[in-house]
Amino acid sequence: MSEVILEVKDLKKWFPLKRSLGQWLRGQRTWMRAVDGVSFQIKKGEIFGLIGESGCGKTTTGKLIMKLIEPTGGQIFFRGEDVTHLSPEALKAYKREVQMIFQDPYASMNPRFRLHQVLAEPLTIHRIGANEQEKRALAAEALTKVKLTPASDFLDRFSHMLSGGQRQRAATARTLILSPSFIVADEPVSMVDLSTRAELLQMMKDIQEELGLTYLYITHDLSTARYFADRIAVMYLGRIVEMGTADELIDHPLHPYTKALIAAVPEPVPGRVNLIKEIPIKGEIPSAAQIPSGCRFHPRCPFAVDDCRHLTAAKLILAGPGHAVACWRYKELD
Amino acid sequence: MKLQELRETLRDFWGEFRKVKYGMVGLVMFFLFLLVVIFEPVLIPFPETGQRWRDITYWEDNPKNAAPVWVNWFKRKDYTPQAVLDKPDFNERKAANTQVAEAVFTYDYKYDLPPIDLLLRATGKGLLNLAVHLERPDGLSIELTKKSFRLSGEAPVRLSLDKEAVGAVGDFLKTYEDPDVLRGVSLFTVKPVEVFFARAAPGILRNPAPLKGEYRIKLTCVAVGSGAFLKEPALTVAGRVFGLMGTDGSKRDIWSGVIVGTKWALLIGLLTSAVAVIIGVFYGVTSAYFGGAVDLVLMRIYEVFQSIPLLPVMIVVSAVFKPSIWMMILMMCAFFWVGSVRTVRSMGLQIKEETYVEAAHALGASQGRIIFKHMLPQVIPYAFASMALQVPVSIVYEASVSLLGLGDATIVTWGQILHDAMQGGAVLQGIWWWIIPPGLFIALMGMTFAFIGFAMDTILNPKLRTR
Repeated sequence: MSEVILEVKDLKKWFPLKRSLGQWLRGQRTWMRAVDGVSFQIKKGEIFGLIGESGCGKTTTGKLIMKLIEPTGGQIFFRGEDVTHLSPEALKAYKREVQMIFQDPYASMNPRFRLHQVLAEPLTIHRIGANEQEKRALAAEALTKVKLTPASDFLDRFSHMLSGGQRQRAATARTLILSPSFIVADEPVSMVDLSTRAELLQMMKDIQEELGLTYLYITHDLSTARYFADRIAVMYLGRIVEMGTADELIDHPLHPYTKALIAAVPEPVPGRVNLIKEIPIKGEIPSAAQIPSGCRFHPRCPFAVDDCRHLTAAKLILAGPGHAVACWRYKELD
Repeated sequence: MKLQELRETLRDFWGEFRKVKYGMVGLVMFFLFLLVVIFEPVLIPFPETGQRWRDITYWEDNPKNAAPVWVNWFKRKDYTPQAVLDKPDFNERKAANTQVAEAVFTYDYKYDLPPIDLLLRATGKGLLNLAVHLERPDGLSIELTKKSFRLSGEAPVRLSLDKEAVGAVGDFLKTYEDPDVLRGVSLFTVKPVEVFFARAAPGILRNPAPLKGEYRIKLTCVAVGSGAFLKEPALTVAGRVFGLMGTDGSKRDIWSGVIVGTKWALLIGLLTSAVAVIIGVFYGVTSAYFGGAVDLVLMRIYEVFQSIPLLPVMIVVSAVFKPSIWMMILMMCAFFWVGSVRTVRSMGLQIKEETYVEAAHALGASQGRIIFKHMLPQVIPYAFASMALQVPVSIVYEASVSLLGLGDATIVTWGQILHDAMQGGAVLQGIWWWIIPPGLFIALMGMTFAFIGFAMDTILNPKLRTR
């Protein structure tokens, strides 16, 4: 559990915005800072949860790690090697090791492909399997791994002939077929029925234990994160505001934002069906194009003081064993 | 596996296509055109139409500007149709150095307006002394002409009785027509064949009444010299009406021309549209996939091509180079590819953003793989529909250029027949059978592919929208 498999250092992704003529003439550039200096380490065999509201940059972080988009700044290390910028050959080798499960199982498979074609695609790309029979056998094996059994029933189906849960299993099978060591799971259960979520996560966990995988689990759902992840990082507006082991972070949240997130989790309390929780923070997440000065969270923070508005944003600092937080006032508030 | 999938896709498509009525009409018409091309040798009476369209000797036995045979159904007086009698009673006697041959042609004349000519053809060698006699149903026998040929080798013999029987007709007229009438008439203006098919009575020149019945034309030949002979005699009755679609001003059979033109129309239409749409689809997908600067440059090039009018360019090219069908197809391909680019590009832009394309990127798929496996298959149905719609455009363009007289002179196309009709003053002379058949075929061929294309469009478009 000690070896660091993936490390991200001060990772940045700024998307350029359209400029007005005036801005263009003055040479001004405006950016949408989707990811703005994110650093974390993921150990081998760990499930690392990345939590945040929509638009906080968590999916962008996932795509940066997947090398689907080029970072604006910062570095990514995989097994100690810098993979921030790779040659096409090295990139292909990297993509064999690092795989991604997408949020929408309905859209992540080509609707014109049958399941065995979907599963054979990574094999063809990476030149595994000598012929169609061999690829089909490997596909069947992968389907068995994700408990889509009997595999022969599923191999010739189109993705639209599967239920949401089955699709996500098939998508997982596609990532597993290359036997990767690291999987970025981008909200893998958010579009799946509640009833199948736990089952799906359990399946993912079983596979992880069996194959010694490492997951980066991206979600907005604290409850599944606590159930699934070993460690959790909370992201807000392109930065990590709090990071710690799952239990510690959820039982003793330090950052006001984390606290608010936890407070907002609905609980099915018997007899109080009409209860709508009062959420301690107000408003929407600000646009990543206009990041507030000082602490990024101050416009929504119930505890913000003048210092929060003017001082530069707090860095992540260690607040306890394996628990870091980025807030000037966390000690006062605790 | 792949074959089975293809078959399933096709079966689904066919199931939908069958429901579109005009699509089926288009398909049936397309198969009819295909049958026309396949059975072309059986359909045309002049087998060398394709090669000798512009060879006047090939068509010389035909009447000029003759209407189709079926106009007789609508006329009170029947016109004599073209007829070829090639199986005469043929007798020959051979002696030392001479051959005496006799061929008797029996012609049943049952029309109101006489043929315009009788043409004798044969093959012979040596010194040939020919005599032609006509035996009429009323018992009169006339010696039409006597003529000698001296042929050093084996060669064809052709005898037009319209020209040769001028002397005989003079005597015949003097016997029966009123001398007062004859006095003011130059014999050179008399059509001998017309006279011989009329009742022998006063008025034969001015108001001839047809003498119907069996005519016997007897050809006697004395071939003198060693190895001299006459063989394969045939008689052509040059009619006033001809074939299914009549003849044009150069005596050509329009039906044969139109049938031979079918394969060129299909070739021009299908080849041009296929090449143009394939280029357009690749262009559009490439532009969409790469985006950014590539897209910008490609779209500007596209706009340049789109804004150049093709017809003037084709006219210039045809005028500068030797007009050739391949050059024309090349030019059309070079300009018609723009037709599908916009739609394909916008489809490509949409597909590019699909999660499964991103997933393929995440798997390490190459650009080629994403373009060929994920993007192109989605665009192919649209490509087929636009191909079908491009076919009539190409055919009409070829016809337009040919109409202007810049067509390929080595082939027969509908546009060229129309051009000849225009040159020959068909409109002013009311030779409708010269204009309507090629025009109608162009329209029908266009309709065929328009129907198929629209049918494919109606089937595929709702699907495109959901994709």
